Amino acid sequence: MNRWHYFRNKAGWSLFTLIFVIVLNFFLFRVMPGDAARQGIRDPRLTKETIEAIRVRFGLDKPVINCIDSLNPVRFGSCSVNPLDTQFFIYVKNLLKGDLGVSFYYNRPVSDILGERLWNTILLIGAGQILAILIGVFLGVLAAWKARSAIDYTALFTGLLAWSLPAFWLGIILVFWGSNHGFPIGGKATPGISSYPFLTQIGDIARHLILPTFTYTVIFMGEYTLLMRSSLMDVLAEDYILTAKAKGLSTFQILKDHALKNGMLPMVTLIAINLGYTVGGVIQIEAVFSWPGLGGALFEAVSRRDFPILQGGFLLIAVSVIIANFIADLTYSYLDPRVQTE
Amino acid sequence: MKVKYTVLTLLVVLALVLSACGAQSQPAVVRIGWLSGPDSLNIGVAWLGTAYTISGLTYSTMYRFNLDGTFSFDLGTDVKRSEDGLVYTFTIREGVKFHDGQPLTAKDVAFTYNLVMAHEDFPTLHSYVDTFASVEAPDDKTVVVTLTEAIPNIESKLVYLYVFPEHIWKDHSDGEAATSFENLEMIGSGPFKMVEYKANEFIRLGTNKDYYGGAAKVDEVIFQVFQNSDVLVQALKSGQVDMVTSVPNTSVQTLKTDANIKIVAGAPFSPDLTDIIFNTTDPENCPIADGGLCTGHPALRDKQVRLAMAYATDKQKIIDVVLLGLGEPGIALIPTGLGEWFNTNIRDYEYDVDKANQILDEAGYKDADGDGVRDMPDGSQPLTFRLNWPNTQSTYPRVAELLSEMWSELGITLEMQVVESDTLTAQCCPALDFDIIIWGWIADPDPNTLLIIPTTDQIPTGYNETGFSSARYDELFVKQGVELDLDKRREMVWEMQAIVHENVPYIIPYYPFAVQAYRLDRFTGWKDSETKVALEDNSSLLNIEPIK
Repeated sequence: MNRWHYFRNKAGWSLFTLIFVIVLNFFLFRVMPGDAARQGIRDPRLTKETIEAIRVRFGLDKPVINCIDSLNPVRFGSCSVNPLDTQFFIYVKNLLKGDLGVSFYYNRPVSDILGERLWNTILLIGAGQILAILIGVFLGVLAAWKARSAIDYTALFTGLLAWSLPAFWLGIILVFWGSNHGFPIGGKATPGISSYPFLTQIGDIARHLILPTFTYTVIFMGEYTLLMRSSLMDVLAEDYILTAKAKGLSTFQILKDHALKNGMLPMVTLIAINLGYTVGGVIQIEAVFSWPGLGGALFEAVSRRDFPILQGGFLLIAVSVIIANFIADLTYSYLDPRVQTE
Repeated sequence: MKVKYTVLTLLVVLALVLSACGAQSQPAVVRIGWLSGPDSLNIGVAWLGTAYTISGLTYSTMYRFNLDGTFSFDLGTDVKRSEDGLVYTFTIREGVKFHDGQPLTAKDVAFTYNLVMAHEDFPTLHSYVDTFASVEAPDDKTVVVTLTEAIPNIESKLVYLYVFPEHIWKDHSDGEAATSFENLEMIGSGPFKMVEYKANEFIRLGTNKDYYGGAAKVDEVIFQVFQNSDVLVQALKSGQVDMVTSVPNTSVQTLKTDANIKIVAGAPFSPDLTDIIFNTTDPENCPIADGGLCTGHPALRDKQVRLAMAYATDKQKIIDVVLLGLGEPGIALIPTGLGEWFNTNIRDYEYDVDKANQILDEAGYKDADGDGVRDMPDGSQPLTFRLNWPNTQSTYPRVAELLSEMWSELGITLEMQVVESDTLTAQCCPALDFDIIIWGWIADPDPNTLLIIPTTDQIPTGYNETGFSSARYDELFVKQGVELDLDKRREMVWEMQAIVHENVPYIIPYYPFAVQAYRLDRFTGWKDSETKVALEDNSSLLNIEPIK
């Protein structure tokens, strides 16, 4: 009963956040100055009539919402327009139908563009996160276990160093090193590889993944190492660990059965937060290695005022953050049963 | 983790082995690296120059625009102009085939021109048919274009009107159907045909063996996107690509030391310019109905102030510092890359700080309060100007710094700020809510697109960013647009540049060079000594052959 109530509560908040994001996403980008119909491009070949025709094509000629024609500059209009004929409600209506609209810039359905990009980003983040978590947790546990020894200080130093490395800088260094050692430095696959057998294609993508994944792993593993170390050291100082020691359990058993589960709590939070943020945070790595991911698509879309891509992309990020947090909340209740009773 | 690693390692080894095996019987593939691919393969809805580059390789046009700035027939073989200059009758090549084997006839040409005419929502392409009244194809090899007014530059209107196959586009010609058509197969009749396209990753083009102009000697051309210019250079150095369409000026010195790489620098295919824009708008002419605010500093409305600033601008120093020498000093809005349209008679204001100070002294701009900054003659406000530039160009901050240094010698101070480019558009024009902006323009083959900018009619549309207005200039703009005699037209275009230069609504610090580079050990035959630099153009790609 308790667990069900907790679940419902969390699900309710997630839904509320989602609706808030959908509304905010729409208005936020329209507050930016500039004209979406001209994509940030000034070109004398573009006549007034052409801009107007493009505006009609994308529905930008319609009022943003009842009473307001445009948000930047704010221009008030008629309040008597049919709400269903305003940009906002058309956006909501299409969203409910699962239609994210058509990119102003690429003239392709947003779901197609983001779909391709999302998988590429998931591939990169997935490989990088798993490695970073594994190595980070391992180093963190090792450091906490051998606290204040040479091993600890080495792990601590490595963690701090890795955490403070700028992704961009590390990426460029790897590009210079890697290009001289036969590693591909740009893109997700070798152009033309699609006519080769499936396994060759997989191998080719794997080769292209090595440098960006390595960069990603190094950048994120430091944070995990440091957090794991300090969290585990707190736990190891608890009385019940002393009890476990008194019972004659081996250090490995103490770590595995008693300390690690509690020590993982803050890690779960961090991983959940990171999963959401990395979509944006991975932009730098994507830019260095020309990885066709989501971050780059959003970055471009901002400067082009490509509202449909921005709305769709940020909705996607919001959904992934909300889901990650929801899962984290549920994981807490498993790791620490006290959480759900509070 | 162990299992994952083992699998990964195995795959890597496998990939390396397989790619090594394939290497022996490889066809000749040219790999070109660039910073951005086309936004769409449907040139109708495209904005980017890269979309035009790819279309130029896959489609045919009536005329071709050559690297020396001339036009020559591509599909066309003959043209007759009517007495009044309104009707052009073209004869086109026979036996031309589209990539899918269907014949290309005059019907396809007429269909394409009519399609573009019907689509006002084609952002850039539609501008090329603005003077077209009707297009017909009386038979399979004759195209009749009737114009609304006699214009001297029909060739420049036709170089980008890529001929679409009617049998494919007829299902994608009306309204939304044309703008939502992705045109992924890109069936054209040009020297290359689409093989594979991955948006924002790469484009693979195969050679069209039946090309009427003689097939290319390479089998495949790949354009691969590298989002970072330093990585792009590294890809060239390490041999992952054979040519790059842009090299950052900062990499030129290191690339020069590489014996396998040749650097080519010169006027770009579409010549461009960087301009320092003064807000000269008189509040009386403010386009209020179009959102004009006209907050420009009053001193900038005085030609003497702008003239003094022009004398105090050391263009060569800016070029040396910002472009590392890879550019040439600008005069007016027409870059040297436009060839005969560039007015070679104008003598630029020679860098002379004393003369500049003298002009300001004589015009009454004295430092009344002794704070080191000159003030308005009536003492109302100091000569402190806002200087903005868009965040899209990495060179502009350095230009701004240099200007601040140079103009401080005149007792002028600048409040410098970078602005996000679309926000700057909103500030700039037609709002005219600024003092000075650093920005740029890119030229079309015909000078008209640049000449139209300082006309009075373009103040409300926002293209006339300075608010400059001259009755003589406006008159000349209209006249040259319908002057069929080339020499007379050129005379007028030259006079227009002189008017702009004399009134200093702009200072044009430089026309930047295009810098490209290719590997010497892979292909030979790159056209690297033309008037303009464009190694990705047909002229090079049809000429190169692999080095054995």
